Amino acid sequence: MIGLCPVLAVSNNATNALGMSAAVAFVLICSNWVVAMIRKITPDEIRIPIFIIVISTFVTISDYVMQAFTPELHHALGVFVPLIVVNCIILGRAEAFAYRNPVLNSILDGVGMSLGFALALVSIGVIREALGAGSVFGITLFNPAVAATIMILPPGAFITIGILMAFLNKMENKVQ
Amino acid sequence: MGKILKLAFILAVFCIISAGSLAFIYMFTQPKIDLNRKIAYDLSVKEVLPQPGKAVSVSPRGYSGPINMIVGVDKSGKVVGIKILNQTETPGLGADVVKPKFLNQFIGKTGKDPIEPKKDIDTITGATISSRAVCKGVKEALEKAKGLPAGRQD
Repeated sequence: MIGLCPVLAVSNNATNALGMSAAVAFVLICSNWVVAMIRKITPDEIRIPIFIIVISTFVTISDYVMQAFTPELHHALGVFVPLIVVNCIILGRAEAFAYRNPVLNSILDGVGMSLGFALALVSIGVIREALGAGSVFGITLFNPAVAATIMILPPGAFITIGILMAFLNKMENKVQ
Repeated sequence: MGKILKLAFILAVFCIISAGSLAFIYMFTQPKIDLNRKIAYDLSVKEVLPQPGKAVSVSPRGYSGPINMIVGVDKSGKVVGIKILNQTETPGLGADVVKPKFLNQFIGKTGKDPIEPKKDIDTITGATISSRAVCKGVKEALEKAKGLPAGRQD
């Protein structure tokens, strides 16, 4: 949940949400892979700085690649691309999993986490864009003039997450 | 002591590998990035200069960094177009200087106008410094346009 912090600002439409999910997936999978690869030669005392070096290298790579090949997306995500470095999902998985598990498992862990993250983020993006701008992935569903603009502004992010959380909790309780 | 040196050395090795990979990627992506910037810039020039005149780019210092903007000035020294290309101001406050509601105030201004907050320009609430910076930029552009040959100027 805490990992969703910076993404509240980029989930205002489904396309940005998907773009951000792709960037996070790239960084998460690559860092998990590298951290698992170097885990035996990484001294325990300096593991956190080394994780940060690895993660920020991959974030910078994705930043450059986005700037070069998808400038509109890069412009839309803006400052939140560099902020991927401090997304605790990535540092958390490096510390809790990749540092203590073989390469293949760590890569798969990265894939799994990324899929979950993408699912959450794109769901929020679809809901916010549909209700707030009348479109999904840029395809207009209904007249934007009657859309609830608040949904594509920050409060809309919190409202959407709150309702989704309530819904998921209800589902969980039912299963138990 | 030896332990600390060893740790520092390992950290340094990681940093070097990281820097090396980034330099490598940079080599590949930078030409494309520069090309994208040029294309965007050319489009902006067309936008701010619908008629013959001069397009001047200025970068006044805003609240948290330079505000790259381009001002179209017609032959009579009047602002005919203005566009903010790049800024890192606070979203929701200073960043609102890119909005037409604010920028349109500058259309029609000449070197004779004060172009000052509180005089002929309404600043954005909570974004005094950003608004002021744009005013400074427009004034600077008008100054520059005076002494330049016709066409684009950087």
